Amino acid sequence: MTVLLATEALVMRFGGVTAVDGVTLAVQEGELRCLIGPNGAGKSTFFKCLTGQYKPTSGRIFWRGRDITALDPFAVARLGVGIKTQVPSLFDGLTALEGVVLALRRQHGERESRHRAMQALERLQVAQLRDVRVGLLAHGQRQLVELAMVVAPEPDLIILDEPTAGMSAEETHRAADLIRELNREHAIVVVEHDMQFIRAIARTVTVFHQGRVLMEDAAERVFADPRVRDVYLGKAVA
Amino acid sequence: MDYAVIVALQILAGVATLVIVSLGLAVVFGMMRVINLAHGEFLMLGGYAAILAHGHGLNLWLSILVLPPIVVGIVGAVVERLLIRRLYGRMIDTMLATWGLSLAFIGGVTMLFGNSVTGISAPLGSFAIGRYHTASYDLFLMGAAAVLSLLVWAVLKLTPAGLLARGTMQNAEMAASLGVAPDRVYAVTFSAGAALSGLAGGLIAPVSGVLPTMGTAYIAKAFITVITGGAAMLTGTLAASALLGSVSTVFTFLTTPVFGEVALLVVAIVLLRLLPRGITGRFLRRAL
Amino acid sequence: MRRAALEIAAVVLVAALAALGLPQVLELFALINATVFVSMAVLALSLGLIWGYGGILCFGQTAFFGLGGYAYAVAAINFGDTTLAVPLALAVPTVVAAALGYLMFYGRISDVYMGVITLTTTLILFKFANSTAGDEWNIGSAPLGGFNGIPGTPPLNWPFDPASQLAPEQIFVVAVVCLALCYAAARLILRTRFGRVAVAIRENELRAELLGYDVRLHKLALFAVGGLMAGLAGVLFANCVFVSPTMFSLSYAGQVIIWVLVGGLGTLLGPVIGCILIQFLTTRAGSFSAVDPNLLLGVVFMLAVVVVPKGLLPSARTALVRLAKRGGA
Repeated sequence: MTVLLATEALVMRFGGVTAVDGVTLAVQEGELRCLIGPNGAGKSTFFKCLTGQYKPTSGRIFWRGRDITALDPFAVARLGVGIKTQVPSLFDGLTALEGVVLALRRQHGERESRHRAMQALERLQVAQLRDVRVGLLAHGQRQLVELAMVVAPEPDLIILDEPTAGMSAEETHRAADLIRELNREHAIVVVEHDMQFIRAIARTVTVFHQGRVLMEDAAERVFADPRVRDVYLGKAVA
Repeated sequence: MDYAVIVALQILAGVATLVIVSLGLAVVFGMMRVINLAHGEFLMLGGYAAILAHGHGLNLWLSILVLPPIVVGIVGAVVERLLIRRLYGRMIDTMLATWGLSLAFIGGVTMLFGNSVTGISAPLGSFAIGRYHTASYDLFLMGAAAVLSLLVWAVLKLTPAGLLARGTMQNAEMAASLGVAPDRVYAVTFSAGAALSGLAGGLIAPVSGVLPTMGTAYIAKAFITVITGGAAMLTGTLAASALLGSVSTVFTFLTTPVFGEVALLVVAIVLLRLLPRGITGRFLRRAL
Repeated sequence: MRRAALEIAAVVLVAALAALGLPQVLELFALINATVFVSMAVLALSLGLIWGYGGILCFGQTAFFGLGGYAYAVAAINFGDTTLAVPLALAVPTVVAAALGYLMFYGRISDVYMGVITLTTTLILFKFANSTAGDEWNIGSAPLGGFNGIPGTPPLNWPFDPASQLAPEQIFVVAVVCLALCYAAARLILRTRFGRVAVAIRENELRAELLGYDVRLHKLALFAVGGLMAGLAGVLFANCVFVSPTMFSLSYAGQVIIWVLVGGLGTLLGPVIGCILIQFLTTRAGSFSAVDPNLLLGVVFMLAVVVVPKGLLPSARTALVRLAKRGGA
């Protein structure tokens, strides 16, 4: 199996705070990886290093073996990485369709983009919102439209930062089905908090704690491990 | 050797002028994140206050040092109450509204006093260094810059009012829950900044012609200095003034005043390119 | 596509009517005034495009306006023929805009700093132009003239025929045609992928970047287009007034922003209409009022920003937009 995305001893420091403290991990093609950990464990910071929003203090990031550590976010996206941010990043003034078309427009012509955009919206069951201005949508709908924008260009890897934040139980359920379905064609890395959601989709889980990887294993073993529970309850763990 | 001393003094005077002219803006921007584009006109009003007072017989030093900050401080309080207060948090809108204010002030003063340049001749005469003479007023300006910087530092760091102001600026809600009225703090801070600008106008009146548009000559420099300085209000302004003031003066010496100004702009742009958060965005970050 | 074509056709129609009709109706002085209004409208359009659609708040659009005017005057005087002076006069502000844009956007400078830098640029140019009195400040045979500006800027002549210069009536027609062309160009640019990405960048820069678009390049290109248009406005202005440092002044810089704000930020015709309306009013007001124009302008500015949340007069804007939509905005 090819390694799509890998980091090597990644460190991200802000002034006196070391948010990410030497993280080494590798994501294979077609994998579904969950990054979990309590608040402040460094997951979101790590995420932003991957997307190029932060330039890591030290360490390296590889895409298919190529060093991409210093790339700008747009260059990372062009590699075939779809990125969904924690707070939905959308074009509020545009309609859902226009937004997804833009996502495709870089690689396809106008008509092709519209066609694929409609397909993406249908896949996420939000086709009825195509002509609605995104700024008017409810939070859960915004998440789904953003997913459509991310998925439409058929990226090799999709990374999502807390995709179910603010979603209702029903929407979370739908999202879990969706992620599993997407995983058939794309590798996925999910940074998440919601344990129900994680349990529904997780295969391999990487647990973050204080900027480092505490453990990385198959989902069942991670959930059974007492250290993981302690970390979430705030107990000190070696 | 004497020439070197003269040049050094000129550079210091240039830096001092930049500090004096930028301090009022730094206080308002640094503390309140308000971009007051009428800062140059506060300066101009201070200059006019000094000229008019002195023209009516008031002692020179009182006209320069005492009257302008009082007058412009009051103007600042009124402006804050009527205009700035409505636009808190809206940085671009504040810039635009204060730009309108600046135009209005220029127009109003032109209507009242006409377009001609007036002035006061610089007091204190000149002193000699070897074969060269230089204005003693330059030394006075250097002293004034130092005193003002110290004053701002002292008020903010050492007085309870200063602590209150800094706390409110960092977190208004928290301050309010401690019994401080943020509105009052903003009003006083803005007036203080205006007063500083007015004082600057008074201080430079003897070395600059006073006319309705004099503010426009300084607004750009003051802005660039404050923004290049970065988040730390006082240290940033001092650091940026030192750097930009020196470069500008040196270039003025080597070429012409206009190229001196161009050099200042170029250096600032290069600096912002390298340090997008200003000097104190990278160095001396925890300073005041 | 059909809608855009209709809109452009409507504007072209109005422009044609104005170009053919007004010279018959207005006397010379009024016609020259009208030409000034039109040239300013092109300037307003340029800012309306980069600010309203691209989200680039440039406080110093007058920098490119002045550069276009000065480049035209210097080139026309030196060449003795305006045919090549015009493309040169358009190239200068465009290149400067590209350079300045590179410095700002590739430095990832934020809104606030951009406003400061662009404002300072136009002020520096103003100061520089003001200080160019005297013979050492000649470019070729063209004196820069200091605060008096360049005397005797030649008006446009028919291509490659320096002897036959255009009459003021014809310059008016040229100006109106330019305005219509700029409008059409802006409309068309906004329909291209580039234009839509530029708008998306204004909506959410991060998301545009995460979709793989080079945000810095898009902003740079749009900014350069704005500079080109403003330069064109400068050339037109040079033909109906004269070239002087006032073109770079703080006062003009402020006026452009007021026109766009009052006319309607986010539309293309709003700034044009706002510009012509406000200019018309200030000329009328200036002729009999004892109120200083800066004072009037400043008060209008403050009211525009304070009274309306988005800095616009809502009813005027809705009415203007409705008008514009009917006329084809």
